[in-house]
Amino acid sequence: MKLSFSPRLSPFLMPSLFTNLHRSVCSASSIPPPPTTPKPQTPLFLRPPTHSATTSDLQKWHDWANTLASSVGSTFVDLDNGPDSTLLRRELKWLMEDAIEETKNVDNNDGSVRLRVEIEELYMLWKQRVEERRPFQYVVGCEHWRDLVLCVEEGVLIPRPETELIVDLVGDAVLGNEGLREGLWADLGTGSGAIAIGIARVLGSGGRVIATDLSPTAVGVAAFNVQRYGLQDIVELRQGSWFGPLKDVEGKLSGFVSNPPYIPSDNIAGLQAEVGRHEPRVALDGGVNGMDDLLHLCKGAAFMLKPGGFFAFETNGEEQCKYLVEYMENDAGGSFCNLNIVADFAGINRFVTGFRR
Amino acid sequence: MSSFMLRRRASRGGSWQLLCPNPEAKSRFFPNLLFSTLSESQHRNVNQPSNPQNLRNPIERRNILDSGISSFSHNTSKTPSGSLQNPTFSSSIFVSGSKPLALSSGNAASGKNISGCGVLGLPTVKSLYSGRGRFGLVCLFGTQAAVEPSTCDGLTVDRIIASEWPILDEYESDWKSHAAAIAQSIHLIKKRLQWKKLLVRLDMLSAEVNKPDLWNDPVHAGKISREHGSLLGKMKEVQTFERELLEHVDMVKLAREENDTELESESMNALLNMRRTSKEKEIEALLAGEQDPCSCYIEVQAGAGGTESNDWAAMVMQMYKMWAQRRGYNMTLVDEMPGEIAGIKRATIKVDGEYAFGYAKAEVGVHRLVRISPFDSNKRRHTSFAAVAVTPILGDASEHVQINESDLRIERFRSGGAGGQHANTTDSAVRIVHIPTGITATCQNERSQHQNKASAMAVIQSRVDQLEMARQNKMNAQYSQSLTDITWGSQIRSYVLQPYRMVKDLRTNYEVSDPDSVLEGDLDGFILSYLSACLDKDEDDN
Repeated sequence: MKLSFSPRLSPFLMPSLFTNLHRSVCSASSIPPPPTTPKPQTPLFLRPPTHSATTSDLQKWHDWANTLASSVGSTFVDLDNGPDSTLLRRELKWLMEDAIEETKNVDNNDGSVRLRVEIEELYMLWKQRVEERRPFQYVVGCEHWRDLVLCVEEGVLIPRPETELIVDLVGDAVLGNEGLREGLWADLGTGSGAIAIGIARVLGSGGRVIATDLSPTAVGVAAFNVQRYGLQDIVELRQGSWFGPLKDVEGKLSGFVSNPPYIPSDNIAGLQAEVGRHEPRVALDGGVNGMDDLLHLCKGAAFMLKPGGFFAFETNGEEQCKYLVEYMENDAGGSFCNLNIVADFAGINRFVTGFRR
Repeated sequence: MSSFMLRRRASRGGSWQLLCPNPEAKSRFFPNLLFSTLSESQHRNVNQPSNPQNLRNPIERRNILDSGISSFSHNTSKTPSGSLQNPTFSSSIFVSGSKPLALSSGNAASGKNISGCGVLGLPTVKSLYSGRGRFGLVCLFGTQAAVEPSTCDGLTVDRIIASEWPILDEYESDWKSHAAAIAQSIHLIKKRLQWKKLLVRLDMLSAEVNKPDLWNDPVHAGKISREHGSLLGKMKEVQTFERELLEHVDMVKLAREENDTELESESMNALLNMRRTSKEKEIEALLAGEQDPCSCYIEVQAGAGGTESNDWAAMVMQMYKMWAQRRGYNMTLVDEMPGEIAGIKRATIKVDGEYAFGYAKAEVGVHRLVRISPFDSNKRRHTSFAAVAVTPILGDASEHVQINESDLRIERFRSGGAGGQHANTTDSAVRIVHIPTGITATCQNERSQHQNKASAMAVIQSRVDQLEMARQNKMNAQYSQSLTDITWGSQIRSYVLQPYRMVKDLRTNYEVSDPDSVLEGDLDGFILSYLSACLDKDEDDN
């Protein structure tokens, strides 16, 4: 399904096609999951270097790409807080890293380099990046997240740098608490599997993580990533909506984390092009005030977690954090304690953590 | 390299007496000595005449001497019969040398020796005593400076230098020429290693290592025993090199006496090989500092002056990148803040490889450029400055200063907007501030925030470590290196592109008339001349 490389597809048709696809999956969540998940695309850096190009052709492509990046200036920044030329040029460097067998060989003697895609495709990919604002991570098929390289593709939310902190929060929670470390954890709406893989590595061999997602594409990509890090014995993937696939572990979870969709529906239209046009809306849109899924998860936390169990949610910011804490303190019937709001590195209150009483 | 030749010639006949404080002592005290490659079995402090009482009776003394001989090459066929055959002699010395106090406890004789040292105020463990029974000789010592190795006919390294044999080209098969060249290298190497200081320091460390309560503080103990091992290794290496030289000289002479042409050419080749490796050793000796073998960060910061100065900073950075490449070092960009129109405001690279810090430390300071600025439409001449800082990356985690998490402020750099799911960005730059010192590090070159944070943290760690080392060096003035005196703000080098072309180091006056080659990373001439000048200065200061 190499949609991304087909030049005939309109850039505007592509993402909406994906979105529609997933919306339909979304609405059909009551029917049993399909027997097989779609096979994920192979990211650029994992493809065999079966193509080659002359150094001068590659240089020509690079010059062209560089000029295209420079022509952007601060247009995208002004438009929707998108990338500027400096950032695009850095991405270009990373694209080279991923596409060329070894960047050092660019100036070797026989005048050719080995590529993981055809040079024509490189032109196309960079055009998509700059002109269609296709996210860089979809272009190369991976996202570097913490110390991981996670495969991603259209239909799967690209893990955000902020979300890395959830793994640190879990690390702090299990520090000196073997009961938590060796318990059963859940990551709901796992997407690429980022958080599940991150906490599986924190928990070590004693822990177990169930990762769920509504989207079969996401489950397929997450399974691929779990496999790549050799965690298939620790991370189990289940397809379905929120607590749907977790009936058998009610009240048994030691920990429960999620980065659910939290953007208020009204904001979706004004999102940065990379996000709004290309990422799956189902992973972003949190309803009228963005709290639909967060509140659902909060309610669920009370009956999913065992006493002493830990939870961490990512939110849209200060307002949602406060609302959640207030809700948990007052309306959740005293089920939770040690509620805490944690800021990300940009200083935005981003996470709510706490324990089941 | 030309500077070395000059230096070597200049140092000939200079301070060799200092290095050999008592050249006659050996023959006076050991008249029956045939081969005096016995430095390991005897020890006397440099400042103290040989103490014959240390040898409790002539037989023991004879044993010592003999066993020394036995470690000698088999080709010196005149080994006295009945000598202790102890081929591992030299290495066993170093083993026993690491805990002489423990060995000597309960031994009245050696106890006396040690207290005797104390009276003389020498920080040396230099008792010499022999054990009994099948363990044979146990030899303790701190330094082994006094008795030098020599050939059968009493030729020593210093005497070779003093003979002023002409040094001919390598292809001339003249053993005297080879020997003279090697001897001069040895002399230079000793000078660069600060030989006397090294021996004194080694004595101190040996005493420290032998304290029974040393390991009460494992961190300190680790540090001490590492330094002890490292200095011991350096000393041993030089002494081995010395001994080798004299052995080969003996061999050449022997071969000539016996008309053994095969042996002669063999030995001549050995000398030639030594002569060649001695050049490498000379350079190695320049880099004898504790942190010299480390990898390092090089940071370049543009001075005031806008685009022209930003461009100059970028040129300097490029110079180091190319220099690192030439030396075969691995280079990674950690942080770069581009200028508005051209060049960089600031950049940090990490240079990975052996002795990266040892060389790069010579570049610390302000670099000045004079040229007609391409950014000036009136074609006027501009002077710009760029400051260079170099920080070693300590390889051993136990030497790191402990940094408290609570002392750090970690910020997302250049972020704006709501973040989270709202934004797709590959920019995850992180800035870390170490609040107590105000040290700041930024990294935006990695592909994940986690990695950027780790990189920035590594920079913070090495800067904090460097601060701590500077503080300790101040306290420990006895063995401080003059390099730490350099202030970050002092101007070290001038690059003139117009009206004439020249690069000149203001510290050494080393100059090159081809700025292009320098800016393309041909820096070793500057670096080596500076490093050797530094050591000259140290020597003069003493």
